[in-house]
Amino acid sequence: MYIASVIVTVCANIISVIGLALLTGYTGMFSLGHAGFMAIGAYGAVLLNRYYAVPYFLALISGGVMAAFVSVIIGYPTLRNKLRGDYFAICMLGFGTVVRLILNNLNNPVINGALGLPGIPKLTSLWSALFIMAILVYFMWNFVNSQYGKNCVAVQQQEVAAEMMGVSLVKTKLLSLVISAFYCGVAGGVLGFWLQYIAPASFSDTRSNDFLATLVTGGTNSITGPFLAAILLTTMLEYLRFLVNWRLVVYGLLYILVMRFRPEGIMGYKEFSLKKTILFFKEFPQNMGKLKGKWVGFWESRNRN
Amino acid sequence: MTIIQQMITSVSVGGLYAVLAVGYALIYSVFDFTNFAFGGIMMVSAFSGYFVSNAGFGTIASMIAAIVTGILVSIAVELLAYRPMRKKNAKRLFLMISAMGVNIFLTNLYLSLFGANLRTLPSGFKANTISIMNVQIGTVDIAAFLTSMVALGILTFFLYKTRSGITVRASATDISTAGLMGINVNKVSLIVFIISGTTAAIAGMFFGMKYTVYPGMGAMSTKAFIASVIGGLGSLQGAVLGGFLLGIMETLVAGYISATYRDLFSFGIMIVVLMFMPNGLVGRGDQSKL
Repeated sequence: MYIASVIVTVCANIISVIGLALLTGYTGMFSLGHAGFMAIGAYGAVLLNRYYAVPYFLALISGGVMAAFVSVIIGYPTLRNKLRGDYFAICMLGFGTVVRLILNNLNNPVINGALGLPGIPKLTSLWSALFIMAILVYFMWNFVNSQYGKNCVAVQQQEVAAEMMGVSLVKTKLLSLVISAFYCGVAGGVLGFWLQYIAPASFSDTRSNDFLATLVTGGTNSITGPFLAAILLTTMLEYLRFLVNWRLVVYGLLYILVMRFRPEGIMGYKEFSLKKTILFFKEFPQNMGKLKGKWVGFWESRNRN
Repeated sequence: MTIIQQMITSVSVGGLYAVLAVGYALIYSVFDFTNFAFGGIMMVSAFSGYFVSNAGFGTIASMIAAIVTGILVSIAVELLAYRPMRKKNAKRLFLMISAMGVNIFLTNLYLSLFGANLRTLPSGFKANTISIMNVQIGTVDIAAFLTSMVALGILTFFLYKTRSGITVRASATDISTAGLMGINVNKVSLIVFIISGTTAAIAGMFFGMKYTVYPGMGAMSTKAFIASVIGGLGSLQGAVLGGFLLGIMETLVAGYISATYRDLFSFGIMIVVLMFMPNGLVGRGDQSKL
């Protein structure tokens, strides 16, 4: 049961981190407020299910759609007119706070203020979580490798050049924001129906930070990188619960160090592939030789200078 | 009479926002990225001020300690995190993530070391309020307003009348051309980070005196960013104007509408400004610098 709980948490984290990977990793926009979309998705799905008896999958999708809708409202004014990404970053930072603020202070019986919503039916099972995660990752994989995904990378690399080639900056940015918001919304729903209890405090800035840290370690311009990092960091956190606040200290350092020494992350610009890994180990001796040659060359060139 | 008191509070808060916003605007205009570490630096220097004043030294000593800390941390961040990345021509996104990392690191380090409790920073003035014609005015408010005005004055003089200030402004227009013209860009970056550390420390001290000192107080600097966006990102006049406007609006909203939704209101204002005046109130597009 405990393992199942860890796996479902990993699934929810993978879904939201993959969503964020499109926005930050591919399109190159920085967000620290995606926990807000998660909150909207979770509250939307749970409330629809509670008051309108919307079935599980439909509730999840509607929660995601609500998050996506809100993202258009927040995204359009900040992304249009070739505005700098900074406006967007700060808007998202505020957005996460504001969502929590509003949920905390709506003291009516429906939202229930800071106390949150208890007694949610346990509709997420281990298999449904895995299933939803697999489908969403599959969709994202296809999206990223499609023309739209290439547009996103173009916008990230060189905005002006991308626009010259006929890529609409606003459309591309908005599209990736909407999709990432949808993913986070769905992840919120999955988590809500599993934990059976949601409160504004569960969608704090710490969670947004978790997402970004996972993404940054996993690598930008990659789906498998963040995917693996999400599995790694989430399971690791289960065993490091006693670290509570120090975890964030480590995250801060992690951001700085990764950006300083390997800004592209573990898997930056590469995808994990089973075939290549097997091939790598099959030809391990030669590869080691190549690696050694590289290092020797590196040292020689260093000493020469 | 309350409205006059409200206005005085709002002007003093606005002055502090303006000082902070100038610190943001300066780094933004020279290096073209948002220094999210600003809030962390402000918090760290307020804490130093608190420790020194707790050790029995006066307000002036704690102010100096705060400013020194602000400058040191600011330079350390620049030398350890930003400069190596700029050398590698890192993308702005990476610089921004790194800056956010510094902020998260500092905030949570202090949270883990000293706990989340609120500490009061004694203001060190004999009377808490003075009354002029039946209006009670906080001495901290007056001191904050005067200090921020003096700081802004000195900064303006420095930027427009001295040689080093002119190099900073030249770098703000185009840092690589400025480098080609023989300006020492590394020196400019040190100057800019010293100034921004000082502004962070001044604002941190006065926010600490007016409210409290706690690890999360860096969140206040988000307001300063909003202020500089309202005024026009990267422009100093805009930052000052935006700071005062935001301070006044926030105090009025907290006083007459709802204190809970004050933050909602500030973000709302920013979104409305971005909707109708994407370059802020005095900004003139991407080219407006300093």
